[in-house]
Amino acid sequence: MIVYTCEDSFEAILTCIYDAWASGLGHRNLKLMVEPVGNLELFCEYRHVDPDSTKVESVIRSIHKKISGYAYQMIFRCAMSCSSEKADIIYRFLLLGFHYGRQITDMVQLPPVLALFELDRAVGNEAHYFREFIRFLNMRGNVLVAHIEPKSDVLTFLAPPFQDRMPSENWMIIDDNRKSAVIHPSDQDFYLTTLTEEEFKRLKTLEDPDDPYIDLWKGFFETIAIKPRENYRCQRSHIPLWYRKHATEFQNPLP
Amino acid sequence: MEIIEKDLSLQEKLNILADAAKYDVACTSSGVDRGGKKGSLGNSCAAGICHSFAADGRCVSLLKILQSNECVYDCKYCLNRASNDRVRTTFTPEEVSQLVIEFYRRNYIEGLFLSSGVCKNPTYTMELMYRSIDLLRNHYHFNGYIHVKAIPNAPQELIEKIGYLADRMSINLELPTAEGLHELAPHKTQASILKPMSLVQNRIVEHRLAIGKDPHMERSGSNRYLSGTIFDTAGQDRIRENASYPAVDSFRTPSLYRPDPFVPAGQSTQMIIGATGENDYQLLTTTQKLYQQFDLKRVFFSAYVPLNEDSHLPSLDTAPPLLREHRLYQADWLLRYYGFQAQDLLSNERPNFNILLDPKCDWALRHLELFPVEINRADYATLLKVPGIGTKSAIRIVKARKTGVLTFEALKKIGVVLKRAKYFITCQGKMQYHLRIEEDFITRQLTGEDYKSSWEIDNPQTYQQLSLFDDNQFASAQPIFSDIQKSLHGQL
Ligand code: SF4
Repeated sequence: MIVYTCEDSFEAILTCIYDAWASGLGHRNLKLMVEPVGNLELFCEYRHVDPDSTKVESVIRSIHKKISGYAYQMIFRCAMSCSSEKADIIYRFLLLGFHYGRQITDMVQLPPVLALFELDRAVGNEAHYFREFIRFLNMRGNVLVAHIEPKSDVLTFLAPPFQDRMPSENWMIIDDNRKSAVIHPSDQDFYLTTLTEEEFKRLKTLEDPDDPYIDLWKGFFETIAIKPRENYRCQRSHIPLWYRKHATEFQNPLP
Repeated sequence: MEIIEKDLSLQEKLNILADAAKYDVACTSSGVDRGGKKGSLGNSCAAGICHSFAADGRCVSLLKILQSNECVYDCKYCLNRASNDRVRTTFTPEEVSQLVIEFYRRNYIEGLFLSSGVCKNPTYTMELMYRSIDLLRNHYHFNGYIHVKAIPNAPQELIEKIGYLADRMSINLELPTAEGLHELAPHKTQASILKPMSLVQNRIVEHRLAIGKDPHMERSGSNRYLSGTIFDTAGQDRIRENASYPAVDSFRTPSLYRPDPFVPAGQSTQMIIGATGENDYQLLTTTQKLYQQFDLKRVFFSAYVPLNEDSHLPSLDTAPPLLREHRLYQADWLLRYYGFQAQDLLSNERPNFNILLDPKCDWALRHLELFPVEINRADYATLLKVPGIGTKSAIRIVKARKTGVLTFEALKKIGVVLKRAKYFITCQGKMQYHLRIEEDFITRQLTGEDYKSSWEIDNPQTYQQLSLFDDNQFASAQPIFSDIQKSLHGQL
């Protein structure tokens, strides 16, 4: 078994797919994995692939031409997933996709298609949850800052809806785990960037813990529930504990 | 008797006016897509967005508050009624705007749901509400979602002025019969509720015609594959005679003339369940009529929570009828998305929902002659009638079978709930198991499965996630949005 491995980026994954395809080894004899590879297996040969923009372009063009733009979007979302299987799932999907063409995205009865759909849904759901549950803190200077710790790399999906929502505000969303951020200066387009440890720390000091709207919101949130209908399990199924970490209304409840 | 407190803090006011607003259930931010624009704050997403979930599991999407909890009316079921001894307070328009803007910027909310008690009189109250909305839209350039409740007996001009600024308006029917209303809400009449409702409807129709749209509100896209839904049989008479159509010479190209939208997310209403003696059939036929005659976007149901001691009302220890509310939401869904009519589900002889079975299973068991259906051939409308197949899985079946024959294994992956559907379908002529299509047998099988979840709805402390739809949650690239999330639990 030959295992093609690459770093965890969209470009690297597509390059990896290109190389695996071009190897002519036969699809049954190879596998794709994103690094770091967990348990190395004895009878496998690992081949690391570096991203190559010409190959990336060629794969993107083929997806658009032979399958559809819709399929491309799904693949892009899947590539942002935290699953270690994602490169292989995309690869298996493309094998079928290049064969069946556009209709492949209706063929959910095929396991590799289903696998891609499920991955896509997981990433889409996570991005949507953060769109609902992220909370901005008001910083001195009227800049809004939100922190998230997502499993998948959802920043690219979060930024456009917030740019539409608050086009004339200064805001940023920070992925605490990846130390990456989208920054949106008022009336301009957002951009992605990475933060150094110092920048990260400096931002913390600018937060305004006395923002009066924090308590107003908590008060509202507690009041709005109807006692005789109290149902914590239902609440938990909608807003899992894991998403509450940065949600204002779940931090230090009012006395 | 009332105490008007002059020196309440903003926090105290907010708590009082949110507490007084929380029994209104229609808190979705759905129905209109509107992109943001520079210089303004906010946008709107037609599917609706939840921002949090309160301790009762209900979605928090809008800042739901009253402008004032002062009230000169005396509706028996209401906490704010004139005869209750309570601390009374009123928001200034400035306070409402500040809260909305600052909550919105922090991503706490999608917008505002503004209702009110009748402070002094209906005109004074609506004027105050208008000033709040006007300040928000025109001074603070708030472009997010706004839902305003119309006050019965308020003047037409004010309702119209608000309609041009709000996304959704609603006026609560409260009780399905005029008698019930008379008994419990002596200051309201059905006419005082239906008049503003048809006023709003007419303005919506005018606006839609003026911009070249169909006069009726958009309904689920997949309804076009169905015939005889409640929306078609509402028929031609739905274009009202008193709607004034734009004259031909007033035609201008859209780029030059675009009239302001009027209540673009449509109207909704709410009925209280269990305060008076109506049966489910009455409630559901009223719901259907509201959709047909007033083209409402949504009808909401609110399980009665006893708040006042009153000889006309159920006693204070009555538990809210949550299962009944849930059944009504399920039936409402069947009307709007599945091509059912109220008369298919209930009748004068069987006026109440089966507590053990959801309305669709119940219907199917009474129509076993129509089953089993062949998955690889049945049309969309027929597939939808199968328990265990929802709108999403029906569409997926229709698409997927074009590329090959479907097996039970594939159906499961597509999201069909086989533990229900297996009694009603064949794949390539065969049922999944050798099962008898026999009413008593299937009923016993299905109620066994449903019993637990039904019990849990009425006993929310033991809640289990359960679905209003038949689809397993599969493969929708989009997760559940606010509208659905709430209906899922019959807790809108
Ligand atoms: S009008 Fe009736 S329902 Fe509305 S606040 Fe007053 S008493 Fe309550």
